[in-house]
Amino acid sequence: MTAEQHPALALRSLVKRFDAKMAVAGVDLTVPAGSFYGLLGPNGAGKTTTLSMAVGLLRPDAGGAWVLGHDVWADPVRAKQLLGVMPDGVRLFDRLSGAELLAYHGLLRGMDPAVVDQRAAELLDVLALADAGRTLVVDYSAGMKKKIGLACALLHGPRLLVLDEPFEAVDPVSAALIRDILARYVTGGGTVVFSSHVMEVVERLCSHVAILADGAIKRVGTLDEVRGEQTLEQVFVTVVGGRTATGEELAWLSR
Amino acid sequence: MAVAVTDAVSDVGAARRVSAWHFVRLKLRVMGNNFRGQDWRVGLFAVGAAVGFWLAAFGFSIFAAPGFAGNDQYATLLAAMGGGLLVLCWLLLPLVFFGVDETLDPARFALLPLPRRTLVTGLFTAALVSVPAVAVLLAASGLIFTAGVFGGWPAALTQTVGVLAGLLLCVAAARAVTSGFATMLRSRRVRDLAAVLLAGAAALIAPVQLAATAALQDADWDRLAAVAAVVGWTPFGAPWTMGIEVAQGRVWAAPVKLLITAVTVAALLLWWSRSLESAMIGAASSGRTSTRSPTTGTAVTQLFPRLLGWLPRSRFGALVAREARYWWRDARRRANLITLAVVGLFVPVMLNLGSAGLTGGGGTPESPSPVLATLSMVFVGVLAAATLANQFGFDGSAYATHVVVGVPGAEELRARIAAFSLYLLPLVLVISGVLALLVLGQPGWIGLTAGSLLATFGAGLAINTLLSVLAAYSLPETSNPFAMNSGAGVARSLLAILSLLASAVAAIPMVVAAALLGDVWLWLALPFGAAYGLGAALLGAYLAGDVLDRRQPELLATITPRR
Repeated sequence: MTAEQHPALALRSLVKRFDAKMAVAGVDLTVPAGSFYGLLGPNGAGKTTTLSMAVGLLRPDAGGAWVLGHDVWADPVRAKQLLGVMPDGVRLFDRLSGAELLAYHGLLRGMDPAVVDQRAAELLDVLALADAGRTLVVDYSAGMKKKIGLACALLHGPRLLVLDEPFEAVDPVSAALIRDILARYVTGGGTVVFSSHVMEVVERLCSHVAILADGAIKRVGTLDEVRGEQTLEQVFVTVVGGRTATGEELAWLSR
Repeated sequence: MAVAVTDAVSDVGAARRVSAWHFVRLKLRVMGNNFRGQDWRVGLFAVGAAVGFWLAAFGFSIFAAPGFAGNDQYATLLAAMGGGLLVLCWLLLPLVFFGVDETLDPARFALLPLPRRTLVTGLFTAALVSVPAVAVLLAASGLIFTAGVFGGWPAALTQTVGVLAGLLLCVAAARAVTSGFATMLRSRRVRDLAAVLLAGAAALIAPVQLAATAALQDADWDRLAAVAAVVGWTPFGAPWTMGIEVAQGRVWAAPVKLLITAVTVAALLLWWSRSLESAMIGAASSGRTSTRSPTTGTAVTQLFPRLLGWLPRSRFGALVAREARYWWRDARRRANLITLAVVGLFVPVMLNLGSAGLTGGGGTPESPSPVLATLSMVFVGVLAAATLANQFGFDGSAYATHVVVGVPGAEELRARIAAFSLYLLPLVLVISGVLALLVLGQPGWIGLTAGSLLATFGAGLAINTLLSVLAAYSLPETSNPFAMNSGAGVARSLLAILSLLASAVAAIPMVVAAALLGDVWLWLALPFGAAYGLGAALLGAYLAGDVLDRRQPELLATITPRR
């Protein structure tokens, strides 16, 4: 298959400007097939904007995105078939129950109903969502919402998974489950790109890392290349630039 | 919004009292911030303000007409009827079309240490700061002019108080009714409520028919003036007729009418404060309680409602099934459906009863008008289709799913139209049946009424589908199904009017045919109307689908609420 020669995801000089603010200022990124890629950055660095442009949710002002060689913006049908996406801060059709939502996603993707049924049952079982029964997704807890979102992204067996903040607001048990599933997916030949600002998760999981700040890539490479002799957190704080509290301010908080 | 809230709080300081003025400033600040860097919003606001002032000038000239004419014979009539109509509009229009401005969402104040009294007066005062409120004030000042001409400055002064009280009444009515209705729609009782409303509407038909025929039989101005005098003693007319009462020498009436108004406003505010509390606590959630009952059947069978089991297990079928479920499960959509059902049944019945009473003369309608019957059906069809004018706004950011999957535009729109029609077509049949059988007494006219309704509905769907793709706007994620973002108010009103006009124009052939063709049309109306409607809807979905394919991400951006 020719797709194997292409990187799983290629971003070329992506630019997005909101009013006066430059959200993403020319991002280039090559995600090799079979890698577990962590996109790190502080709040407001442009992670969500970059990933939205990569999967076709947000039209870039300039630049392009390719999924296994298929242009997301020129040949969206093929690219979107290979993609599984879990956006952050975006609602699901949450007035459906978990099973209904999975069935909806599967049929929207044009899958065979029998296959949808079988995979949906398996996913709900593995993600410990089967107990929720007919509970609507809107009434799920934050961790359950992340898990059903992941199930929706996985249902059609994509080659590339793009996840925005998959570990945000997730309890340790659910996080461990999500980590296991993602690790198994990469072992099975899939590629995962996810954004996060939780260093330990990234250090534990990722083969490759990119640090994004102020809309531009500051460091990129394999985990060891980026990390060097330091911990990932030290590198991150150095790159992003932060301040430490002296203990003098906010004195009124202590009584 | 959050920033502005913090601002206001720090302004107040920990110990100082919060006055209504803070809420007004907060609202103005939020409105100003919403305009920042969004020139089109400023433009829309300007257009809305211009329309508002034009209407205000029109209202002023009507209310001031007796004063200009120097004839106070019909002054009470105009004041009571015009003012009453004004209150009625404030009561009903937010429910049906425009929603209420929730620039200051009550839920945002839930964590602040504010007494409920302060909160209600504050939100109420802030609600007075709006273009419609100013427009009402300007229009109603025509009453002050009239009162002044006939009764000198005491009457004018009394009427000034009356106009201010009337404005308070209008705003309080709009707030209390939307908020109360929203609470009811959230609760599980909603199905019962809908049933009761519909049953009530149906039950009202017979007595109203008798009353309307009797009243219109010998309708003359003096009779109408007598009715107006009665209306003047209800909360609807009381505040607007105070000045003219003083001018005509009944000074004692003014304080009594002021009391009537004050008591009504107080009662409305009390009701509002009750439902406000539940609005603050209840976050956006489903009207259904979550049931952990064990599931039956596979995932795919669960998605499809039992009644829609015949739908194909395909992308189209899934879209229709999901939309059908959403029209009932989403409180916002359900609110639209229910009001549509009630208004759709009421208005044609009223219109046609009026005409039957005017032309009949003998208590039973002799020669009902096919043109009027068609026109009232056009109204219902247009109104029904206008529900879809912002169909993507209902979805909000959830629409991202369709963008990620890449759902073909035309297929998506056809499915949305089909799902909405699943609810609307039975309603159409009921409405046209009720109109033809019970009101007009002409069973043979079912074809005419149903055909007109179908044609307008289909043409309206085509136009609104196109609008929903081109001119979508975001709805706030609050628990109030009638709420909308500030700034969107003008956009929403203009959009609604535009869609109503365009759909009405598209329905002209049906009205012309009803007027020209005579009896043949009674037979042709149904097949022609159904074909016209279906063709228009499909054409609309095809054209709008093409547009949708090209601007899916842009549509997603416009309907995602800013947080």
